[in-house]
Amino acid sequence: MKIIVCVGTGGVGKTSVAASIALTQARAGAKCLVLTTDPSLRLRTALGLKDGLLEQRVPVPDAKGELWAALLDVNATLDEAVRLYAKPGNQARILEHPIYRSIAGSLSGMQELMAVERIDQLILRGFDNIVVDTAPSRHALDVFDKPELFANFSDSGRVRFVSRTYQFAESVGLTAIGRGALEFSSRVESILGTTMVRQMLDFYSLFYPIAEGYSARARRTVGLLRDASVTEFRIVTIPAKALRDAQFFIEALNKRKFAIGMICVNRTWHHALPEVTPEGLAAELLDSYRSVSASHRSAIARLRETFGARVKEIRILNELERDVDGVESLRRLADQLEPSLSAAAS
Amino acid sequence: MADSARLVIFCGKGGVGKTTLSLAAGLKHAMNGRRVLIVSSHPLAELALAVSLEGLSTRFPAAAPNLFVLYIDPRDLISDVVAEHFPAPAMAQRILNSSIMTNLIEIAPGLKEFFFLGRLQELSERRKSKSAAAPPDYDYLIWDAPATGHFLTTLRSAKNFEVFLTGPLAAAGAQLRRFFSNSQNIQLIPVTPLEDMAIAETLEMAQSMAKDFGVNCSAVLVNCASAMCSATEADIAGLGPMTGAAPAMRFAVERGLMERERCVELRAALPAPQVLIPRITQSSNDLDLLVRIGERMDFSFA
Repeated sequence: MKIIVCVGTGGVGKTSVAASIALTQARAGAKCLVLTTDPSLRLRTALGLKDGLLEQRVPVPDAKGELWAALLDVNATLDEAVRLYAKPGNQARILEHPIYRSIAGSLSGMQELMAVERIDQLILRGFDNIVVDTAPSRHALDVFDKPELFANFSDSGRVRFVSRTYQFAESVGLTAIGRGALEFSSRVESILGTTMVRQMLDFYSLFYPIAEGYSARARRTVGLLRDASVTEFRIVTIPAKALRDAQFFIEALNKRKFAIGMICVNRTWHHALPEVTPEGLAAELLDSYRSVSASHRSAIARLRETFGARVKEIRILNELERDVDGVESLRRLADQLEPSLSAAAS
Repeated sequence: MADSARLVIFCGKGGVGKTTLSLAAGLKHAMNGRRVLIVSSHPLAELALAVSLEGLSTRFPAAAPNLFVLYIDPRDLISDVVAEHFPAPAMAQRILNSSIMTNLIEIAPGLKEFFFLGRLQELSERRKSKSAAAPPDYDYLIWDAPATGHFLTTLRSAKNFEVFLTGPLAAAGAQLRRFFSNSQNIQLIPVTPLEDMAIAETLEMAQSMAKDFGVNCSAVLVNCASAMCSATEADIAGLGPMTGAAPAMRFAVERGLMERERCVELRAALPAPQVLIPRITQSSNDLDLLVRIGERMDFSFA
């Protein structure tokens, strides 16, 4: 099994690159799945992606292996975790709890938490290779810290104490006394207001068993991600951001002991220039192209100089004329990503 | 006289140039003698990496004292709230050090976002003198907002607190929701390049803001637009066929034509004035780049 995790900031075409990497692996004979967070509408349609937990087979006629795609549906993944790990009597109470509704609907870190949960589910379903497209931000690496935050939360003796005491007090009808005994919570209450604290205590006493189960699985998954024989991280960037993205992600990945494979510099304007200079609008367009292209070339040269020795490979991907909107454009990107090109790239 | 600084929100998908355009707009207005505060939700270290204001005080001595950039760390906001409630520093520290407090707040849905909104409102109403007649400290508060999803989550936290809670936070939520629903207070300016996803996000955001807060977009900044977007039909006809042209030429023309179509589609879907900002790559330094971009922003925040 092999996992490739694509990291990168917004607007670099990370989803397209992740899907193209999966396509190269399907061509090579693997049963490969791309797990994506936020595809464009056209790409979503092309890959047949739907909300929910189903994986979708993408027809690729000439591939030896199989290409599959799945969408990271945060709400569905979380609901599934509740159904799997909550006591039957508590499921409905959790799913209908106001705190749960606002967590499931809007908490930004939840996407990262659920990515880890979903990787775990997919490993169990027997895919050879999984390509993960992380959330489009620098904070996406919190993906791999947040499970530990959750783990710390449920490992914390005090929270366990608060949750269990509250649960117990509530079950014997002593809620007020139970909470009153928690001298600490009353201080928090004076800041957050009674309702919020009560709702949160109530919620976490219900949610706590799930967090415990979650933490164990998350540690296992993060362990796989740290195993260099299984997982490779690829940094996806664009020329204008290449240097600072490389610096940020190489540092962040090293700090977390993740193995870095490749930097993909996507959306590069590196096409062959005409020999004769045109006139009119064509000249204006070409001038603009040349100046962008020159800045791309110099950015890539600086990237190679600074980080060339610290990663296995730097791969340059030419931008396509139109948005990546289907298997045909993925094919054109995948052509530029084939491993056989490694030797030619210099 | 205005009660508060005008809050100008630069929003859009990640990586579309919100920070650069926020700084360009801020610099432009500071050069015109307006007092501008740019509030960013990402750390200054990242901001400095995006585009730097270094050398501002020597290059633009008149603008420098008018231009402020502030990064708000949600953790600091929480410390401030605790400090307000527990004036004794030892007690405040004990609470901040407690794992229950940090864990509760870390996982409390929308709490950090909620405090952030409160701080924005406070900054826009802040005045040095207590007198109501005194002008607010800033003419413009520019919020270099996080990417669309998180931006909407942040604003919705006000609404969620109002709806789901009771007590002091619910009252504060209702009050914040009113502030952010008043188009006298805020001006919404999405930034988008002419790409599918960015446009789709812009439209979703615009719809959501109109529905949830009754606020419409004041202008759309179309970033990195090709010269093709403003070319005449005759110019385009003059280009001739592209078969056999060099790959770079074919790319520039095909991409330009696609952007031109997108421009028209965007105008039809979102009836706010479009401001085309060309892709500017070559500048000797960041300040020159910001000034050149600012020159293209021929719209006012009125």
